[in-house]
Amino acid sequence: MERKNFLKSLMVGAVSSSVLVQACKKDADVTATSGTTTTNTGSTGTTTGTSGSCSVAPTETEGPYPTKSPASYVRSDITDGRSGYKMTVNIVITNANNSCNALANALVDIWHCDAEGNYSEYGGSGSQSTNYQSVHFLRGRQTTSSSGAVTFTTIFPGWYTGRATHIHVHVYNSSGTSLKVTQIAFPEGTGTALAIVNGYSKGMSGYTYNASDNVFSDGYTLEMATVSGSTTDGFNLNITLAVPA
Amino acid sequence: MNKPTIKLCYRKIIDINSAKPWDKLVFDDSYAEFRMQVQNFAEVKQYPAFGELVHYVPAARKLNQMVGPAITGYIQQLNEVVPDVLNNLGRRFLKFKHYQFEIINSHLNDRSKHQVAISFFSEPMVWHSTIDSYLLLAAAGQETEEVFTHLVQLQPYLSIHTLTECHESYTIAS
Repeated sequence: MERKNFLKSLMVGAVSSSVLVQACKKDADVTATSGTTTTNTGSTGTTTGTSGSCSVAPTETEGPYPTKSPASYVRSDITDGRSGYKMTVNIVITNANNSCNALANALVDIWHCDAEGNYSEYGGSGSQSTNYQSVHFLRGRQTTSSSGAVTFTTIFPGWYTGRATHIHVHVYNSSGTSLKVTQIAFPEGTGTALAIVNGYSKGMSGYTYNASDNVFSDGYTLEMATVSGSTTDGFNLNITLAVPA
Repeated sequence: MNKPTIKLCYRKIIDINSAKPWDKLVFDDSYAEFRMQVQNFAEVKQYPAFGELVHYVPAARKLNQMVGPAITGYIQQLNEVVPDVLNNLGRRFLKFKHYQFEIINSHLNDRSKHQVAISFFSEPMVWHSTIDSYLLLAAAGQETEEVFTHLVQLQPYLSIHTLTECHESYTIAS
């Protein structure tokens, strides 16, 4: 390996583990050679085969006692520190198979992109920190009340190439069986929240309006929300979605 | 003398036969979440088994991350101490701040097929010695001449995840 690359690789290690650096510094004053420090693991080779089948029984005080804990999707405020104009999302779920009466105890998942048009990535493929906050920003779950209502606090979504501004919704019955996957569309035109927010720092150049959106272009009247408010007071989104339950 | 610093990995397997209360909660809630999230993939009607689904629909692999938030509450209840792995005094001792959740197998309609793993990555430990099948470890960062140590037995699903040798170049580069 070239010395430059070697040093670079060491730098990476140094950044990710300051504790390690401290631990090593002390020793490095005494001796500088690597390779002589490896503990001999060969001596364990003959015994590992038998030790594997039994291990020491716990002799601790019983516990900790785990308690039922909901998925971390379950929260009303899904902002997770994302910047943008505050928006309250009020969704009412009705039952299309029951005269469109309110559907209670339905699980409602919503997710949408941030002001820049990016979705959270569920924490990626690598290991996750126990400090999990913001791993799934702008994703949340609520259970409908007796009047079929759920409320989320979030930010007004941004947009990305090829799509009109939208919020994804997945409605499940109380036992988790999917009832409907849909999306919420936003009103367009002068004076609408969409026009007021004006695509945040991106502006609206290159924006895909509902009429040309590949999801909404086949008709979106049932997915269209009413959105009111201002950038100073925040926005309110209201929509009623009928699902077959 | 220089000692290597290691991070251990304990891969905990949880399935329908798991008996401990914590394991059962993780099993139940991760399966409930799997059933919900897998319905975001329309192909699940054709391929209800997780293995089949990811074979035909590679994007379904992200179910690992989509289901993970079902168990974060239980991870937090561990208070950053790895479960099951005991030192030779019979106590849990291994601290962790990172973990990875994965679905091994599952099935939309068959709870008994659900099997998940949580890999716990320990905080750095200085590997002082090996005594028979035991590792003599001490939490990194102890500045005193006398350090507190733990003897831990090599066992299935416990492995050395990373190893860092200490030498002079490392110190210069830092």
